[in-house]
Amino acid sequence: MMGFNLHIVVILFVAGLHATHTGKGDDGCGFLITSQLLERVKVAVNLTKNGFHRDLIYTVQFGAPLFGNLQALLIQNIASGMYMDIYQLQSLREDSGLHVLLDSEVDLEAPAYESPGFASFIYLRSDSSVPGYLTSTVPIHGRYHRPAESKTREIVEIQHPKLLLKSDNCENGKPLLSSLPHKTVNAPCSVHNLSVCRWFQIENLQAPQSITLTLPVGDKSLIFLVCGGTLFITVLCNLILTVTIYKNALFEFL
Amino acid sequence: MGLSIQKTLVQLMKTHVLLSFAFVMRLLLVGVGVYQDRTMVVKYTDIDYHVFTDASRYVTQGQSPYNRSTYRYTPLLAWMLTPNIYLTSVFGKLLFVACDVLTGLLIQRLLLLRGLSEESSCLHSALWLLNPLPAGVSSRGNAESLLSALVLGTLLCLELRRMRAAALLYGLAVHMKIYPVTYALPIALSLQTRKPTGGMPRGARSWRLWAFICRVLNRDLLMFTLISGGLFCGLTLLFYHMYGWDFLHETYLYHLTRRDIRHNFSPYFYMLYLTAESSWSRALGLAAFLPQASLLLLTSLAFHGDLALCCFLNTAIFVSFNKVCTSQYFLWYLCLLPLVIPHLSLSLKKGVGLLVLWFAGQGLWLAPAYYLEFEGWDTFVLIWLAGLLFLMINTYIMVSIISHYKPEPRSRVHKRPKAD
Repeated sequence: MMGFNLHIVVILFVAGLHATHTGKGDDGCGFLITSQLLERVKVAVNLTKNGFHRDLIYTVQFGAPLFGNLQALLIQNIASGMYMDIYQLQSLREDSGLHVLLDSEVDLEAPAYESPGFASFIYLRSDSSVPGYLTSTVPIHGRYHRPAESKTREIVEIQHPKLLLKSDNCENGKPLLSSLPHKTVNAPCSVHNLSVCRWFQIENLQAPQSITLTLPVGDKSLIFLVCGGTLFITVLCNLILTVTIYKNALFEFL
Repeated sequence: MGLSIQKTLVQLMKTHVLLSFAFVMRLLLVGVGVYQDRTMVVKYTDIDYHVFTDASRYVTQGQSPYNRSTYRYTPLLAWMLTPNIYLTSVFGKLLFVACDVLTGLLIQRLLLLRGLSEESSCLHSALWLLNPLPAGVSSRGNAESLLSALVLGTLLCLELRRMRAAALLYGLAVHMKIYPVTYALPIALSLQTRKPTGGMPRGARSWRLWAFICRVLNRDLLMFTLISGGLFCGLTLLFYHMYGWDFLHETYLYHLTRRDIRHNFSPYFYMLYLTAESSWSRALGLAAFLPQASLLLLTSLAFHGDLALCCFLNTAIFVSFNKVCTSQYFLWYLCLLPLVIPHLSLSLKKGVGLLVLWFAGQGLWLAPAYYLEFEGWDTFVLIWLAGLLFLMINTYIMVSIISHYKPEPRSRVHKRPKAD
């Protein structure tokens, strides 16, 4: 509830600023103050599929149709328990036009306890059939976790993403923009242009919910049984083979 | 109807017809793969093929192939596949398919040399050439067929006593993948000087051992070691000079020290996962290495007189007792199986039974692995048990093969052509 109130206040404040600068002409940053556009913006994240290979489906619904040069970006922080495969993302870029960048090199094989988290930049594209509606489906994979003593599942949390907007007409660094209450964030301009652009983070979205998934983990209480069983069977198989080889062999030096 | 099928089969069992059929079958699979990749969500092409192609792209840009993460192969492979970038993206698949068919041809030639008739050698090489498993793997863009061609080429050259060619192929094979290093001891022992009279030397055990060592340390072994070792070291130095530590680490050290804790066919998988961070992880690693190493040593000493059998057993032992095992490793020994089968006194029923058992072992592993990976069920214990059962099945198959193997007549082994 607090968030909603603050949201209204922010929009009013921006509207106020806008009112004082209308005389200077349109600087292309009009989207920040189009209350209609931002007032009812909703960012929804859904997780589909099961197991270690999932899809994150993002949908962003604005309160009004977007104007031409407005671009939307989601920044999704991923904790150490999950990873995105940069090569799979590249192949999806060619196949289905998915635009995702990662902020660092991501190990595709390491377990969760040896991996740092990372951030992904998901450039949303509009669905031409529904005005003001953006969507993107990003594959994400679970890492192996440290075996646990008392539980067989690990809960991995995926935080709510941040929504950022940018308009090509909106000049960077204008005093007007820096004085706006919206936070500015530096992020790559697009998947094709990696130079840094200034984006405006839209705060106070709908109640930010994080989603969780559970991954199975090894049962550490079985450690002695598993080690004993494994060594017993491997040594037994070794002995059976040794005897068979010995019986059928021709040792030239014996 | 029955007669026409028999006639067709007889026709198929002619070398060139069989090879052409095998090649066309694989080309069709490559075509199907291109179509499936374009039109369907589930892709036909192996993920590794994209890794190779990406690494080749780096090479064409004058960069290191190791800039592609998970590229863990020799730079030669990335170089070989540069036509993937310049010419067509299916070039690599065509190369792998060609090596796959070449493997079949080498199997057939080896069987002829081992005394089989033309028809019988074709029939047994058809086990590889018409086998959907290697055909599927090579047409999906997996590079295993390069290795199978190099390994069988080495065996064929050794059988023909073309020592220099054999040494070069062997050096290259070990450079491409490490596992053929397990053939070093049997090859060295098989190169020993044999007296035309044959028979076992008499006298005290220590004297016989000494005589054996003297027979082994001969000119052939020295030449083989120098050429294969020289090629291996030369390539290693060249690529170390070009790509530095990345090359050594990704191509060799990674595979030697690999401890993949994620589920795989290895009987050791769950033990290594549960103990990955424990202080006795190192000791357990050694405990897992010893059964493998001792069996490799024993098989090499016992069966080096029949290199095909010895290499088959060494590979099967290496793969079955390895700390990491994925399904592509199975091809390493499957390409040697057609050389062993003609010598088995097993009934067809028992042979088919063993085959069914082998596939059943994999099926029993794949089911819980699927539910873990794609459904998120906690099936670790089932996967572990299935891995152990698969080791027992593999052991049973190896025991059956060893105890039903009729070796080549010794006289034929001795009457090999002279060295080139």
